[in-house]
Amino acid sequence: MTNKRLETAAAAAVALMLVAAGFIFLYAPTDALQGPVQRIFYLHVSSAIAAYGCFAVVLLGGIVYLWKENAAADRLARAGAVVGLVFTTVTLVMGMIWAKPIWGTFWTWDARLTSTLVLWIIYAGYLMIRRLSEPGRQAARFAAVVGIFGFIDVPVVHFSVTWWRTQHPGPVVINDALPSQMLVAFFVTMVCTLFLAAVMIAIRYRIEVLTDQAAEKVVVAPIIASSEAGTAR
Amino acid sequence: MIYLLTAYGFGVAMLGGYLVWSLLRVRELSRKQ
Repeated sequence: MTNKRLETAAAAAVALMLVAAGFIFLYAPTDALQGPVQRIFYLHVSSAIAAYGCFAVVLLGGIVYLWKENAAADRLARAGAVVGLVFTTVTLVMGMIWAKPIWGTFWTWDARLTSTLVLWIIYAGYLMIRRLSEPGRQAARFAAVVGIFGFIDVPVVHFSVTWWRTQHPGPVVINDALPSQMLVAFFVTMVCTLFLAAVMIAIRYRIEVLTDQAAEKVVVAPIIASSEAGTAR
Repeated sequence: MIYLLTAYGFGVAMLGGYLVWSLLRVRELSRKQ
């Protein structure tokens, strides 16, 4: 994708998020029990679903890399991990801010919150491996394994509210616990957030391509210079 | 209301900030190439 196309896609994503904001703040009704603070739900849950999608990209990229040693798959996995971490941060922090007025505390060690924090730590670890290790096959293979096994935590996060008795509420969307206007606002926000996540991954992928090309130049340039010096002699 | 504004303020700052930063980074890396 060219830079121009990426910028156009980013502008489209921002426009779609503004549409989602319209649905969240103007269309969706105010919750009778929680009041306006319940509107945090729309971006909080959509960000969590976007993070699941990003980590699925890391999983697929890791599998393809281990199978074919394809550099593009490794770059895609790296892009998915960064963007997934951004969305997990948004999920965690927005959830904490929502928890304060409803539960009376920012944090409690219940299954959903703890497993989500573990998810954040796994992918922060994945990115630390990439940053601290020498770039190359070994680092990519190791990171792919971490990305594949790390994904095990995604279903744990998702089903934690049904597997364990938690303070975090259970699934409301699939249990038909929301009025239709709230459901519409949620689905619009989710689609817009997923589009934003896809655009962010595409931009990050471009960054990874350009970074790899710059690193290759740094390695290749002295080799060319030394071979030219040898020829001149 | 303050919690709602703080939560969305953070969400917008994080997602918008990352989006803008990544677009600037692409421009910078493209210029260097």
